[in-house]
Amino acid sequence: MKIYLRLSLILLAFCVVATALLAFVNSATKPRIDELQTKAADEARSTLIPGAVFELKQIAVPEADSIEYYEAKDEKTGELKGYTFTASKAGYSSNVKTMAALDPEFNIINIQVIEQAETPGLGANCTQESFAAKFKGLAPDELLVDKDGGKIVSLTGATITTRAIANSLRETVNLIKASLSAAPAEPEKEPKP
Amino acid sequence: MSFIKELTKGLIKENPIFVIVLGMCPTLATSTSVNNAIGMGMAATFVLVCSNVMISLIKNITPDKIRIPVYVVVIAAFVSVVDMVMAAYLPELHKSLGLFIPLIVVNCIILGRAEAFANKNNVLNSLADGIGMGLGFTLALVVVSTFREILGNGTWAGMRVMPKTYDPMLIAVLAPGAFITLGLLMAAINLLKERFQ
Repeated sequence: MKIYLRLSLILLAFCVVATALLAFVNSATKPRIDELQTKAADEARSTLIPGAVFELKQIAVPEADSIEYYEAKDEKTGELKGYTFTASKAGYSSNVKTMAALDPEFNIINIQVIEQAETPGLGANCTQESFAAKFKGLAPDELLVDKDGGKIVSLTGATITTRAIANSLRETVNLIKASLSAAPAEPEKEPKP
Repeated sequence: MSFIKELTKGLIKENPIFVIVLGMCPTLATSTSVNNAIGMGMAATFVLVCSNVMISLIKNITPDKIRIPVYVVVIAAFVSVVDMVMAAYLPELHKSLGLFIPLIVVNCIILGRAEAFANKNNVLNSLADGIGMGLGFTLALVVVSTFREILGNGTWAGMRVMPKTYDPMLIAVLAPGAFITLGLLMAAINLLKERFQ
């Protein structure tokens, strides 16, 4: 009996040391990781709609997390240039997170897959430029893969990935569109002199 | 002398994939392109070297009966630390290797070497074993992925090597292609071995 107690305590000691080490490393690196992620998201936004300032907006969704999107206005004139948002949905082997930019008429300007762990060589090809090109200029209703009756040609061997991206984008665009057309348009702010 | 021997045995003679046949899961998953293969190989080598040294250091205070759980704790903690530190201080490297880091935890080459080698040998030899096995793993991954990427995508490390008109043999980058390629390569290696003995 004594031996089991001894072994358990030794294993416990190893776990305590490992946990303490992990807690320490986590607290030391977390602020920097968060900062880098925010910076990367900011950079991604400015690549999608260059020369704009972004303002965070939120839509309350019943029974779900609220949706965040950014309104992009021209740096100089303050004119509405479009919107950017992030949408995610389960793909084949991971949650696929995509950032997209919309023009004021809710057509896709460009998209960028920012987080995915899909099959390398198949689904992972969704990070390539040629994949984003398939989405350019599409209206919200056209965001469907070819197998579902839409225009987007799926990645070879990765229909599920393509479908996850198209569906997540379509759902979010429609939510943003609905909330913007339901709410009375905000009074235009005076452009800065 | 033995340091060099431990260092080089992992490359060919005791290659972890072709000879010991360890770590099949990450091999099948990441050998779709040469770039992925190098990324996975390097990340695994790094963790393997560190875990081998660590386990060799604590082998005297680890009771034999609970060595496996202790190794698992050490390896898992180590991988998490590497993941977090890399994300914070080497974000570029983390972007390309980050995908493979969770896969390393379940890479049985690491646990296999801890049990079969680091547990019984001194720190220096464990270090050599880790480097050799890691590089052997990388080498094998590159060989497998070379065939798969050229046949399945017409490229090598992202560069086009087949003519534009080449219709990629898609099965090569899919899971069955991994088994077929690996099987044929092992058969070829065994054939060569028999010839030269």
